Amino acid sequence: MSESGSNEAYGLLAQFDTPAAVMVAAAKIREAGFRKWDVYTPFPVHGMDQAMGLKNSKVGWFCFFGGLLGYTTGMCMIYYMNGWDYRIEIGGKPLFSPFYAFPVSYELTILFGAFGSLIGMFSLNRLPRLHHPLLKNETFKQVTHDKFCIVIETSDPKYSENETRKLLKGSGSKHIELVEE
Amino acid sequence: MNSDKSKKSPGKAVKELFALPELGSKFLIIGGGILLLIGTVTGVENREQLAFSWLLSYMFFLSICMGSLFLIIITHLFDAAWAVPFRRINESIISLFPIMGLLFIPIALLALFFDTPHFYEWMQMGDSPDPALHAKQGWLNKPFFILRACVYFAVWSWLGLGFRKWSIRQDKDGSPECTHKMRKLAYAGIYIFAFTLTAAVIDWVKALEHSWYSTMYGVVYFAGSVWVTLAATYLIALFLDRSGPLKPVMGNRQYHGIAILMLAFTVFYAYVHFSQYFLIWNANIPEETFWYVKREIGSWWDIGILIVFGHFFFPFLMLLRIDIKLALPIMVPLCAWNMLMHYIDLTFNIMPVLHDSGYVLHWLDIASFAVIGGILAYYFMKRFSEAAPFPIKDPRLGEAVAETLHEREHQAQTAAAATDGGAE
Repeated sequence: MSESGSNEAYGLLAQFDTPAAVMVAAAKIREAGFRKWDVYTPFPVHGMDQAMGLKNSKVGWFCFFGGLLGYTTGMCMIYYMNGWDYRIEIGGKPLFSPFYAFPVSYELTILFGAFGSLIGMFSLNRLPRLHHPLLKNETFKQVTHDKFCIVIETSDPKYSENETRKLLKGSGSKHIELVEE
Repeated sequence: MNSDKSKKSPGKAVKELFALPELGSKFLIIGGGILLLIGTVTGVENREQLAFSWLLSYMFFLSICMGSLFLIIITHLFDAAWAVPFRRINESIISLFPIMGLLFIPIALLALFFDTPHFYEWMQMGDSPDPALHAKQGWLNKPFFILRACVYFAVWSWLGLGFRKWSIRQDKDGSPECTHKMRKLAYAGIYIFAFTLTAAVIDWVKALEHSWYSTMYGVVYFAGSVWVTLAATYLIALFLDRSGPLKPVMGNRQYHGIAILMLAFTVFYAYVHFSQYFLIWNANIPEETFWYVKREIGSWWDIGILIVFGHFFFPFLMLLRIDIKLALPIMVPLCAWNMLMHYIDLTFNIMPVLHDSGYVLHWLDIASFAVIGGILAYYFMKRFSEAAPFPIKDPRLGEAVAETLHEREHQAQTAAAATDGGAE
């Protein structure tokens, strides 16, 4: 699909020289109400979450429910095995007790919680994917060196080429270009 | 930063701010003191209750002192800049160790010289044929008990006053040498802290039932102590932030950090206490199980369940979310709840020795709590207003405040951008 439409655009890329400049620009783009856009920097910039208006990640919910599932699985498994399917009385202790089942359930809570986080992270990021339009862009490569980029996708409902270009220029970018799909 | 201004005017402001709480603490001391006097003169029955009540309240406030010492040590060890703004609160608390030493005297007197058969039973037994006690007599004997108490208070006071001294000296010139001195104290302090806390809680609480064994006991008290200290620090810092003295330096980062630690210690406490219970449950040896069997009688059973759900599940689920850690309408009651839970936890440890059929709330419990709490609150406010409300020249302060300032600037910026939306 990358070969077929050379005139099809993925988005508008704006380059910045300093973290401060890209942060100010990010705040402006957020104010303008764009949804499908991202900031690319060579290192983490503190306060960028707030500038971009990013909310807390939803991965935590995957982790929570993964953990809950793990805990229930552990308790049910041990109840089924020791309390129902294959009963052996040891040392006069009850056949099932949440106390001795707890360590295993606890381990499963952690394991399933970790699985939940991993699966949640992958699915929310739409990973794995083999290619991204930005990867063949020459200007974008400088993001791993000393430049800062903002890319607004053409699929954003607020996107219109001239207006968006004007906005990016107004927010202090010296270099703006169209990224091909 | 203008040190002259920020040093003098907040000092006065803090004193004015503390006028009412100070009056309150005096009322507590006088009111509680009168009740305690009645308790001491009205007979043997009350005298034993007084000993246990005093010990319970004492261990509660000792928790906050020890927890504060730990927070100071650990933030120096990890060079945690975020914790600098509210450090003076904990520094003022750990300067109270000499007073804690004085407040220990009633415990020692009641145990050694009065007829209190359940209060440290081993003291009444002498050279007994009980093999469990006989083997422990090298540790559990009266002279060594007193000597150890003296050593604990000497060492804790040395650490507490040392941290405070160097921190306040740094207010003058901001010399990095003071930071280095505090770090060195922290290096030694972390070991001293671990050993003395473990030994002290074994001496004063666990030895109430001398024949019991548990290798987790010191850690359980430690976990609960830091937990309750974080709740207390959150509340005190919030009060001082809202009323002025800490306003320039406290930000979301600080509250969030304290709440993160609170969540960690909620889990840690449950982890160690469960480990203690689980090993005893699993091994099923009478020398160990009697301790928990005793605590399943009457309403002690309900208290135990309350600790499982109120000390762990409820705060754990509440503190999980990021936004709740900063939501004051939830955090303030939760901190108060945590302090209540720690008190209940200590009650569960101490009181079944005296009231073996169930929980009894005695008026001497309240009186002891009022007197010890009042005295410590009074001296805390005195110490806190003696110096600047935060370490004004700590080299790490700038880093901690920068984040807060940036946050506030960003809020102001977005507010401004929302109103005019103009370009540069």
